[in-house]
Amino acid sequence: MMRRLLLGALTATALAGLAACGLITSTSRSVFVVFDVSGTYVKAVPDATKYANLMIAELQPGDWLGVSQISACSFSEKEIILQRQLPETPSLASAAKRELFTQLGAYAAQVKSAKYTDIKGALAQAAFELRQRPEAQRYIVLFSDMVEDHGKTCDTSNIKLDLKGINVIAANVIKSNPADPDKYFALLEKWEQAVKDAGGTWSLVASPDQLPKLVASR
Amino acid sequence: MPVIPAISAICFSIVISPPHSRLYPPGESGRVVIGGARARAAEGHAVEETVQAATGSPSPDAAIDGGNFFGIPYGWPLAAVIVGVILFMWMARHPVRQVLWQIFFITGRVFGRWGLWLKEHGQAARVTCADKIASHRADELQDRMLMLEDRIGHRAEKLPKETTPIIARLDKSTHTLATTANDLADINLEDTAERAFRAAMPSIEQGRGLSKMEKTIAQNTARAMNERLVPVRPALTALKTEGPRLRDVAQKLGKIDQRFNQGVEQVNKAFTEFEAIVKSEDRVKVASQASILVPWLIAILVTGIALSGVFLNFFLIERPMSEIVGEGARIAGIGLPTFAAMIVIFLEFVTGVILMDSAGFTRLIPAFHSMSDGGRKIMFWVAFTFLAAFSVLEATLSIVREQIIEQQQETRDLANRALVSPTLAAPQPAAASPEAAAPAESATRADETRKAGLQLATIAQLILAVLIPWLLAAAALPLETIIRNSVFMVSIASSYFLLALAFICKTIAVALKGAGLFVLSVYDLIIFVPLGIQRMVTGKRGSRRSEDRRERKERRKEEEASSDDDDPMTLNQPISKRERREREKELKRA
Repeated sequence: MMRRLLLGALTATALAGLAACGLITSTSRSVFVVFDVSGTYVKAVPDATKYANLMIAELQPGDWLGVSQISACSFSEKEIILQRQLPETPSLASAAKRELFTQLGAYAAQVKSAKYTDIKGALAQAAFELRQRPEAQRYIVLFSDMVEDHGKTCDTSNIKLDLKGINVIAANVIKSNPADPDKYFALLEKWEQAVKDAGGTWSLVASPDQLPKLVASR
Repeated sequence: MPVIPAISAICFSIVISPPHSRLYPPGESGRVVIGGARARAAEGHAVEETVQAATGSPSPDAAIDGGNFFGIPYGWPLAAVIVGVILFMWMARHPVRQVLWQIFFITGRVFGRWGLWLKEHGQAARVTCADKIASHRADELQDRMLMLEDRIGHRAEKLPKETTPIIARLDKSTHTLATTANDLADINLEDTAERAFRAAMPSIEQGRGLSKMEKTIAQNTARAMNERLVPVRPALTALKTEGPRLRDVAQKLGKIDQRFNQGVEQVNKAFTEFEAIVKSEDRVKVASQASILVPWLIAILVTGIALSGVFLNFFLIERPMSEIVGEGARIAGIGLPTFAAMIVIFLEFVTGVILMDSAGFTRLIPAFHSMSDGGRKIMFWVAFTFLAAFSVLEATLSIVREQIIEQQQETRDLANRALVSPTLAAPQPAAASPEAAAPAESATRADETRKAGLQLATIAQLILAVLIPWLLAAAALPLETIIRNSVFMVSIASSYFLLALAFICKTIAVALKGAGLFVLSVYDLIIFVPLGIQRMVTGKRGSRRSEDRRERKERRKEEEASSDDDDPMTLNQPISKRERREREKELKRA
């Protein structure tokens, strides 16, 4: 009896040791999708939700997904649209993904425009939420034209971002002024620098099929 | 030795005269003409360049003085240095000899010892391996004999069942034949004919007619014969019937005898071989007769095919395993479903090994050897049940796999369809219109075709899933051969490796000894002048013989040291005549 108990204790200790040594690790990732609902981008939100659907379809069971929007003052729980962890089994995960499609479709159908565009606040909110997650791989997917516009009551332009360990992906960045490409590229460079300065990594996705590859295939 | 002073004089003349003095006239000493400059020198336009005597490279100082050898000017200074060095070497000959002896002969001896040690161990390993192979072959034959004996025993048990009806039939046939033979023996045709004649006599006396008499006699004889032959006819029929029956029975008995003889011959053959293996002292010969490589290669081939089945099985069950264990974790870098699938395959394999061992096909697990027949039967049925359960599990997983793939594909299709559909809903055609009905029908047809294809794929996966666990179990059969023969092959390779190492060590040892002798000879050659003088001086003092004796002793000692190892690997010094004679005598005595 004592021998059995000892054997059981040894097995449990070995398993705990394996986990502690990092032999048992998590493959799940957490993805936070942020939609820009400012006046310049709100029309592109339905398309953006479809791109997001493509990405969600490729997520693995056990992955976590959060969705929020960029509004006049984005650093707020009110802007979070949904948060959900996909089930661990593939069949249940598929069903959950379909529910997410429906939820995003419903959101795109009734989305309302915001007066200002607080991108930094949204990034700070997304980073804050991701830091609470246990997953090792963390992504923020931004669907925005990346043009910031702060109101007087909520100016977050000078806040310090902390994006360590977070991959920021800018997807479907539409050109707000087609007559000035330099400004567009300068804007992208500015955001890239800001993300890198905050400790994150920056990626730009031009076509919809690149986004799932960038997020799900890592 | 008159040669030595002559050589000494030549060397001395070479040493004290600079090299250029041998090439050019005294007026051009220290200069060497390069290339075709000799001709031009003759013309008075010589292009000359001085070179260093030792290195051959041009020396600026050489043009000024007579040249030097490592800073020592040519001529008497260099000669004096060389003489000094030779004298020093002569004085230091005993310690230098000892050092050289230490370097070459001791190292050589060490290598020689290593060579001997390696050779002994290599040969011992070869003998041990041969012994193991022979023992294994004996075990195999023993098993074969036991199996044949068992088979003959079973046959003997069945024999009464087979032979009883044959013997009964033989008895019956013998009885019938005996009765028939008695009946036939009882027939007395002469008596019957006489009786018929006598019976015809009264009618002859009454009739007195000759023709009538003949007729009556013939009729009476025919009737009597006929009456007598009536009981003979069934006997003849019985003879006709029993003849082929007896032939059949004889054939059957012949076959039984043949089968028994075959079995006995096999047993005898196995026993003869077994006896030869057990009694033979030449284990290497016995081992070389047992084939190791061919069964090993066949086993490797079969296992390779089985492993490809494992590979296929792995991909069949990996994805659906995520439905059981879930995704999202890795163990040592391997995904949890992959890990679980691997574990299932290993478990199937282990169950297969237990099944084959308990069935008596393999002997991989020693515990089964000492187990009772009842215990082995229980283990066999337990393993069989587990394997059947694994088969069912895999069949279920194959169905789940198809469902998962379908669901994932539908989810992707849903996302893709939403992407290609227009943002604003286009006006749909009326439901009842033919334009709307045609695409709906084609979509339904396509869906049905797809479902039929999926069903077929699922059936194929089901068949594979059911079969593969049993095939994996069969892979345990060649595993035994692989493990056992691999051990033998590694042992043989190790023994040959040791022998090869021994050969290398012995070669190094001989090379070192040879090099040592050469260096000592060169050393003696360099100091031969002072040695000669020493011998002359000591000879005058009357102790030359003793000096020579001492030298000879030293040499003999060195030679003995060099030929210390008695090694039959053909790299040693030749054996002396006396030793050879002694060995021959010993051989003759033996």
